[in-house]
Amino acid sequence: MGSKTKKSFTVLLAFIMSFSVTGCFDKREIDDLVNPIAIGFDKGSNHSVRMTLQIAIPTKVAGGGEGGGGGGGEESVSYTTVEAPSIYSGLNMINSYVSKQLNMSQIKVLVFSEELAREGIEKYINALMRGREFRPHSYVIVARGTGNAAERYLRAVEPELESNPAKYYEMLLSAYTYTGFTANTSLTNFYKNMVSESTQPLAVLADISKFEKSDDINMDNSSYQEKGREFPLEGDFKAGDMPKVGTIKSEVMGLAVFNGSKMVGELDGEETQLQLMLEGNFGYSYVTIPDPEAEDYVVLLNIKQNRKPKRKVEIVDEKPHIKVNIYLEADILSIQSGVNYESLEKVKILEDAAEKFFEKGFLRMLKKTAKEFKSDIAGFGKEMKGKFLTWDEWTNFNWIEKYPDSEFEVDVDLKIRRPGLMLRTYPAAGTEVGEE
Amino acid sequence: MADLKKLIKDMFVFKEPEPREEFILEEKESEKIVNVTDAHDETSEKKKKGSLRNLFSKSANSEKKDSESGKESNNTENMTCVSKNLKENVEYLKKRFSIPINGDVVLREFDIVIKDRKIPACLIFYDGMVNGMLINLNILQPLMLLSNLDVKGKNGEKDIAEYIHKSLVTHNQVKVSHEFDEIVGEINFGGCGVFIDGIDVAYACDVKGWQHRGVDRPNNEIVIRGPQESFNEILRVNTALVRKILKDEDLVAESIEIGKRSKTPCSLLYIKDIANESLVNEVRRRLQNIKTDYIFDTGELEQYIEDNTLMSTPQIVATERPDRVASMLAEGKVAVIMSGSPFALVMPTTNNDFLQSAEDAYVRFPYANLLRIMRVIAIFMSLLLPGLYVAITNYHHEMIPTDLLFAIEASRERVPFPSVVEIIIMEFAFELIREAGLRVPSPIGPTLGIIGALILGQAAVAANIVSPILIIVVAVTGIGSFAIPNFSLGFSFRILRFAYVFLAAMAGFLGITFGLFVQSIILCNAKSFGVPFMAPFGPKTKSRFQDQFFRSPIWKQEKRPDFLNTKDTQKQPKISRQWRKSEKKKGKQ
Amino acid sequence: MEGKIIFGKREAISLLIILICNQLILGFPSIMSNSVGSAGWILSIYVSILALCLFLIISKLYSAFEGKDLLDISEFAGGNIARIIVGLIVVIDSVLIISVKLREYTEHIKIISFTQSPVSFIMLFFALGMIISVHFGIEPLVRSTTIVLPIVAIGVVIVVAGSVKNFELSNIMPILGTGPYDIFVGGLPRLSIFSGIISLFFIPPFMGGYKNIKKIGVLVITISGIVLTVGVLAYLLVFPYPVSSNNVLAFFELSRVLEYGRFFQRIESVFLLTWSLAGLLYLSSGLYFVIYVFSKTFKLKYYRPLIIPFTLIIFSLSLIPESLMEIMYLDNKVIRYYAWIVAFGLPFVLLSIARLVKRKRRGMAKNGK
Repeated sequence: MGSKTKKSFTVLLAFIMSFSVTGCFDKREIDDLVNPIAIGFDKGSNHSVRMTLQIAIPTKVAGGGEGGGGGGGEESVSYTTVEAPSIYSGLNMINSYVSKQLNMSQIKVLVFSEELAREGIEKYINALMRGREFRPHSYVIVARGTGNAAERYLRAVEPELESNPAKYYEMLLSAYTYTGFTANTSLTNFYKNMVSESTQPLAVLADISKFEKSDDINMDNSSYQEKGREFPLEGDFKAGDMPKVGTIKSEVMGLAVFNGSKMVGELDGEETQLQLMLEGNFGYSYVTIPDPEAEDYVVLLNIKQNRKPKRKVEIVDEKPHIKVNIYLEADILSIQSGVNYESLEKVKILEDAAEKFFEKGFLRMLKKTAKEFKSDIAGFGKEMKGKFLTWDEWTNFNWIEKYPDSEFEVDVDLKIRRPGLMLRTYPAAGTEVGEE
Repeated sequence: MADLKKLIKDMFVFKEPEPREEFILEEKESEKIVNVTDAHDETSEKKKKGSLRNLFSKSANSEKKDSESGKESNNTENMTCVSKNLKENVEYLKKRFSIPINGDVVLREFDIVIKDRKIPACLIFYDGMVNGMLINLNILQPLMLLSNLDVKGKNGEKDIAEYIHKSLVTHNQVKVSHEFDEIVGEINFGGCGVFIDGIDVAYACDVKGWQHRGVDRPNNEIVIRGPQESFNEILRVNTALVRKILKDEDLVAESIEIGKRSKTPCSLLYIKDIANESLVNEVRRRLQNIKTDYIFDTGELEQYIEDNTLMSTPQIVATERPDRVASMLAEGKVAVIMSGSPFALVMPTTNNDFLQSAEDAYVRFPYANLLRIMRVIAIFMSLLLPGLYVAITNYHHEMIPTDLLFAIEASRERVPFPSVVEIIIMEFAFELIREAGLRVPSPIGPTLGIIGALILGQAAVAANIVSPILIIVVAVTGIGSFAIPNFSLGFSFRILRFAYVFLAAMAGFLGITFGLFVQSIILCNAKSFGVPFMAPFGPKTKSRFQDQFFRSPIWKQEKRPDFLNTKDTQKQPKISRQWRKSEKKKGKQ
Repeated sequence: MEGKIIFGKREAISLLIILICNQLILGFPSIMSNSVGSAGWILSIYVSILALCLFLIISKLYSAFEGKDLLDISEFAGGNIARIIVGLIVVIDSVLIISVKLREYTEHIKIISFTQSPVSFIMLFFALGMIISVHFGIEPLVRSTTIVLPIVAIGVVIVVAGSVKNFELSNIMPILGTGPYDIFVGGLPRLSIFSGIISLFFIPPFMGGYKNIKKIGVLVITISGIVLTVGVLAYLLVFPYPVSSNNVLAFFELSRVLEYGRFFQRIESVFLLTWSLAGLLYLSSGLYFVIYVFSKTFKLKYYRPLIIPFTLIIFSLSLIPESLMEIMYLDNKVIRYYAWIVAFGLPFVLLSIARLVKRKRRGMAKNGK
């Protein structure tokens, strides 16, 4: 071959050989990695943090090509807990006794214990946001209870319908679109709200079921009494207090309210629904309204939020005056009392009753956030922000300090659209039995 | 008893090996080193000059000696022109065609009777290459039987020659020549030579009649909708196939001969007032300046005249469909057809020609575009899929959905090799199966395909040598490479695939991007007969040629491709569906 | 230069768009946010309009010299010395910018995917790509740009369109960010974003007779302005200030936000493909530009031998800064503050001088009669 081709060949050869000398640095085979799917943070002794990792075992999860597998969540995960000064030191320690290298890119859920949350989780959130491997869409969860709540919670999670616990988390925590009892508290939202001067962060509450057998079920921990109701509605619980029994022990309901990076309180299920409505993120859900015309009965509505709420903030005498208009649509699911609410005359009554019910709930909840929690979780600061021209004016205004003095006005506009399949309820026809 | 004894004796007693002569390839006379002691008389004189020189001069002398011994036939050997003496001609022919050693040459001597003179003549041809009936009826019969007719005019020799040529030999293609080389050339290609005593010209008649394949269906470029003819190995049949589609007297089929010994006839086809002249001149120049002994197939011809041998993509399209050649000629390209090869070469090409199949033109507009999209996807898959798999599973784990990740991990748990090695093993196995499948005898042919693919793959998975996902990747890649319409391009991608796997193993997506970038640079640099390969994407040509990537409906394709610089750029007028116009007018009335 | 190379209007536009818009992918949005807070997009529009005006002024001066590039004009104005000075200024400026950009691209890719590899390993890929593509000449490079640019554009569009779900109008409040003074006066040096436009003035010899450089310039600045503004706007709508000024890799963070259901999560690595392509194109074009200007300044006949030395120079220069923070400082504070002098100031000054010289000569010729 000519000298030109010879020359280019030698150059090419030299390059190829130099590549083989340098080697491939970041190449890591898939089966050299271990993928934890959840992390729990508990308070350790002496400024250290106790980390629990929930690791998925792929061979048990996938079942391989020989059939088998399917269900059996217990075997497909393994747990390990370590106490370390910070997240990465803990990861280092775990790497030393787990055979494969930890790869944090599949972590779906970050669980903080209540104790740790009340002290402030700023440093952990910052570390998690800075790390490139952590998913920005993983959920931030607070585990209720004292002591090592996070570890307890993680160890109790046993997915039944899925063989892959990661899928369990993802599906469970995105259920807020059709239940409204949790919210989208992803890491990136949490961080943005944490450093924002116009909103405050929220985290999902999680806990283990209190009740072992169905005879133990009681309503002691429900908040219905505070709300002045005679019986608890489905949203009047927080995680762990739900009157349920089953093999699935983990419960997720309600939100933890943060002020800055410290937890200051909790919202139960119904208040979470209201919070979602205020944000405009409420999908659709079943809501129970006490029957306006018949005591002791309830009406079931399928509530949807089709339009975003209108929010207005005005400053009157140095106090913020917040006005919210919520627009809801409802379908009738069930009328227990049989009253003919589907007719055009009576439907207004039902609408008014529902509107009042919601307005009462809203005012209660908003007052709680202002007076008790002193944190603007619905993000009214965003409306305020638009009124200023420069950044310095806004920071000087200091909305966070002004919020606790706010006055609220809520107007709910609810329209009942469809009655389901029936136009009226006919009472059962039968002789009166056992009543004189 | 005696046999047994003999047997034992044979087994144990030493036997001399029988002398067997092994075949040794002897060196040429001039390279032989002959022993000086066997020297001839003459060399003894030159002994003083040194043995080496002796050896060389001895060999020279011996060669000369050999040639001297044949001096008597020197005359006939050095003949180039036909002589008037038939005997000399016959001697020459016998020497040149190695008669009677060469078994399929027939030398037939006969007499022509003109008036009352008997003129001896001879006929020479290759048995099997000629059509015997033609010779009998059109050459022998008139010369032998019907020659006894009146010759009007002078009875000179020249007249006889003319008389024979113009009146007696009732054959439609006869060549008259003085030179032996021309006649022998014709004889070699299925003609027969007629030598007549007293005339210093010979006649070469084209009586080709060898066995050949008929016009068949195309084997490699199969379409559902469209003509089903393909080229065969006869030059005139092929040119006729193209001509009967175009029916244009401006279609020129220039004859060019390639190969010093084989003198293979080729045809250079172009449409005179469409194709660019400099293009035609360039192609002609390249064809005429190939110096080689024998040339066998257009595949070799392609390699002789292409721009860049080392490039991975071909720069000339080889097709076996006459309708495709015709449509490309109509665009302004140039075609070369060679005798003996059923593939015609068309040049210049751009990248779009490799994405198109003949069917695109005959099928309706939406289907053609859908097929093109599929082909582009197939190309990218066949090139990049193994590389992407390696890159994702080795470097970019976070991209994989969690379920899939666990599935891959679980299946890879027991496999001893790293993914790169796995892929290379499976790719090699696939290529082996492909290669072997070409040569498997037909009874086992289909079964080998099934065995190789399914059972081998399944067995490999069960034996934990490869993971099942890999089988899918490799299989899809292989299928993708079959979807590429052009055979050479598919081939080149098979090679490049390995390069991408290595690049991906070295640096993940960065390596793949680097490879894509370098490849696009090289592709954009390539030129095929002066036309940039990536036109019309590369240099964005002014006229909006409507058949680049997506094919616009046929009534919209008005211009010929701009990058060919054709003489006549308008293919169709603006409104090619004139029936639409007239309909409107009728409606108004 | 060897041979007469011509490329068309479309190719020139693609080339220039890559030269200017590549910063969008690097860190441009967070730089904008850093300087003026939530009004970054206003700054972007403002700078584009300013660049457009300046360019129109310069091209008016340029109209007297159709078909010539800056080096020819400087030779006309001041002889050999002027040509060498101008050429050297442009070369040095470009070399510095390219070496900083090379390091930046490498560091970004390192953060994204290749955390353990040494910097020189990754830079080797870029350097090899640059060497190979410049070796083949400007024609294949420009054609590749024309082909690849739509792919990069599609990548950017997907990222921007996919993040619409997370847009919140309140994130760009307060409207004027850190204040009008900061935007309009403090933002002036940000004109350096468009410093790639200087290569437009070197293109005329390649255009093969196309005389309307003004049209190309206007089109390029408009398109780049729109692209940059949309990118910054999308980024700012997703991330509120001060989070937006905090991110090292602005566009990457934007692509991380993409989430459609359980399947389309974390596909940011796919964008690595488009970004590396954009980076390779930009660096190769830049290298060719440097070598071309250098060889034309000193009237060298062959440019191929210059490829490897220049690549080595750029390679070594880019290894000098010690950390990513230093690079960002260099890029944001040093280069971006002064590059506009070369990009806009130099042609302006040069062309004015050349105009004067021309007028003087014409005057002398008239007087001579």
